[in-house]
Amino acid sequence: MTIAASISPAIPLFEARGISKAYGVVQALSDVSLKVQAGEVHAVVGENGAGKSTLMNIICGKVSPDSGTMYRDGAQVSFKSASDAQAASIAIAPQEINLVPRLSVVENILLGAQERGVFGQIDWKKTRARALRHLQEIDDTIDPDAPAESLSKAQQQLVQIARAAATSARILIFDEPTAALTDRETNRLFAFIRKFRAAGNAIFYVSHRLDEILELSQTITVLRDGVLVAELNPHEATKDDLVRHMAGRQVDAIVRDRATTNIGQPVLTVTGLSRPGEFRDISFELRSGEILGIAGLIGSGRTELGKCLFGVTASSKGQVEVFGEKANIRHPADAIARGMVYLPEERKQEGLFPLLSITENACISTFGRFRGLLGLRFSDMVREVETYVDSLKIKIGQQHDPITSLSGGNQQKVILARWLMRDSKILILDEPTRGIDVNAKGEIQAVLRKLVTEGLSIIYISSELQEVIDVSYRILVMHEGALKGIVQAEEATQEDLLALAMS
Amino acid sequence: MSAPSTENLSRNAPFAWIGRFRRWEASGVLVALLVLFIALSFATPAFLSQYNLSVVARQASFVGLIALGQTLVLLIGGIDLSVGAAAALSAIFGSLLLTQTGIHPYAVLPITAAFGFGLGCINGFFVAVLRLNPFIVTLASWEIFAGATLVITKGYPIRPLGEQFRVFGQGTIAGIPVPVVIFIAAGAILTYLLARTRFGRNIYAVGGNRDAAELVGIRAWRVEFIVFGLAGMFAALAGILYASRMDSGQPSVGEGWLMGAITAAIIGGTSLKGGQGTIVGTIFGALLMAVLANGIVLMNVSGYWERVIIGIVVLVAILVDLMRRR
Repeated sequence: MTIAASISPAIPLFEARGISKAYGVVQALSDVSLKVQAGEVHAVVGENGAGKSTLMNIICGKVSPDSGTMYRDGAQVSFKSASDAQAASIAIAPQEINLVPRLSVVENILLGAQERGVFGQIDWKKTRARALRHLQEIDDTIDPDAPAESLSKAQQQLVQIARAAATSARILIFDEPTAALTDRETNRLFAFIRKFRAAGNAIFYVSHRLDEILELSQTITVLRDGVLVAELNPHEATKDDLVRHMAGRQVDAIVRDRATTNIGQPVLTVTGLSRPGEFRDISFELRSGEILGIAGLIGSGRTELGKCLFGVTASSKGQVEVFGEKANIRHPADAIARGMVYLPEERKQEGLFPLLSITENACISTFGRFRGLLGLRFSDMVREVETYVDSLKIKIGQQHDPITSLSGGNQQKVILARWLMRDSKILILDEPTRGIDVNAKGEIQAVLRKLVTEGLSIIYISSELQEVIDVSYRILVMHEGALKGIVQAEEATQEDLLALAMS
Repeated sequence: MSAPSTENLSRNAPFAWIGRFRRWEASGVLVALLVLFIALSFATPAFLSQYNLSVVARQASFVGLIALGQTLVLLIGGIDLSVGAAAALSAIFGSLLLTQTGIHPYAVLPITAAFGFGLGCINGFFVAVLRLNPFIVTLASWEIFAGATLVITKGYPIRPLGEQFRVFGQGTIAGIPVPVVIFIAAGAILTYLLARTRFGRNIYAVGGNRDAAELVGIRAWRVEFIVFGLAGMFAALAGILYASRMDSGQPSVGEGWLMGAITAAIIGGTSLKGGQGTIVGTIFGALLMAVLANGIVLMNVSGYWERVIIGIVVLVAILVDLMRRR
């Protein structure tokens, strides 16, 4: 029992009792109960696949539970849709962006809730004023008349938060709100959250960032495999406690093992690479057996550089040499043929084939190897994938299940297996651990370390500075499309990188 | 469709095949086809006569051939509105080739198919290379192909095509009409292509997630280009076979085939969004529509009801699909 709960008034603002939900054979939630009091930020943490998103989707009416009851101010409620939940003043700012791309920020914020005039027509003046009020509480640098599609990912996230706030909800659900945000934007968001809660409202807050959660919340619920394993008080709990409960065991501290003896000849040499509006005059070398980090804030051009190297976009100037040979890479297929592969930042949009099985998602780039007299030999594919399921510890049901049945971390491992199967020599990884839980993150990083000792080379793009420092040997820091410096990871601190990245 | 897999989680469970059958996209149309088939067998003895069945099967094979190509286009997330007009233009091309040159009648079929492939590649160029919207591109080429047909023929049919050529439309192999044999053979080849070749799996990959397909090194435009070419080729085959059946290259052939083809694919479980569908489903879909039309005639129902009933069948098909997904 937490302190917050024991001193609070008797009737919680919202309460869920005994919530269970199964998808097929997977029990996403079993018998989960939680409540939130007025003035409380209730954090929900857990590894990927622990059931956080399912629980939040049930609370906001998007998903119906198999069993369990919910109470709003002590009165039983049941939601058939998100609008039912909104009528009970519960709103969600989802992790996935779902704005209408061509409509302005103002219109997106009050979509379907515009102010009406006497004839039922939309009163744009009032609507705009109301939208602006909500937007400015969250961020005052966003152009309210810009179409949503022109905003950065972080800004779109903020607009979604403003939209949730604009429903005049008393209970807001934030699902990974800060994943794409800069520090400044994050601080601003936290100020809003504190104000919102002080006004007697409540928040459910889902995040992988444990520091944030300890700082912000009054209660922490830990889910593991769909079961509520702990309810903690952030004043007493430590980060290690959280991780231990999430993982169900002690997670080994990250070993910062950088045996640099294996580092050999350059495998990728980039000279003066430019692409207008994205990055300019980038030169660096990647050597065999090396993990080269690329750090930078949002808009620094890190992802754009990675995509250009892989041939998704064309460079305007500069030269790329792969294994000492000048490479004219105009399509990803050219890069792949040279042993250079790319793992995209947007896993769902650019990495997965949602309608295909796990086997095929893994083998999609290696079909040529499985050709037999009678066409593709699926049994060989299954056998081959099985070895990666073992070595990468991918948690799957059956290989012919759709890839979407897996959690984010396991999906990412399947994509990694896709490239390892090709005996790729240069891996460009863009945010490989985004939205992935602590354990899977550690496992993926361990795999990467093992791979470089076997002679592979890795470019590791990430917005998490500490992660880049932990994983890389050298770090390339970018700022607004320019290369600001290459530092040795061993000597680097987050502050150093940040200073370079913001210069 | 899902890839053939060698292991099944439910192989040891009794009646597991029922679940697998329900998840199969083509299961709904197969059940509907069987029910209708049995009902008509009892309702009217004329239905099961060999003559009637071969009429039905031949009827199904013309629209069915077009539907095979359309299924491929739908699988990559496109649509081809020009197939009916391409069929007509190809039929005229083949008829002129036959009557104006001394070419051997048997060579007409492959040359016309190649011509149709070329017509499809025109669509492919605009859609796959220039990345224009397939609906708009094929709307335009539909008009152009249909217009060109009329310009060439001035609206008059080209006939006769000759005794030797009629065998394709009117002949039989082991009692089965030649167009039906060609339809089934094409269906079998495409089923194999889609399930068991890299090109086939790339079609599902491009249709399911084009961005991801590019990022795994599939040159999506090539897949799309060839698929549009194939759609044109199957349209040409249907057109020239029909001309052979009629002993006449008619400018009006193919009118109404477009919607029939799309309908057959959709009843058969192909998704308009791409990435999902099977050739087998499309074949059943084409058969179902032909059996329906035949049943209406045999039962002495006014022919005007045919379209109403087909519309209802489409709605039922997508409702069944919706329920299966839930």
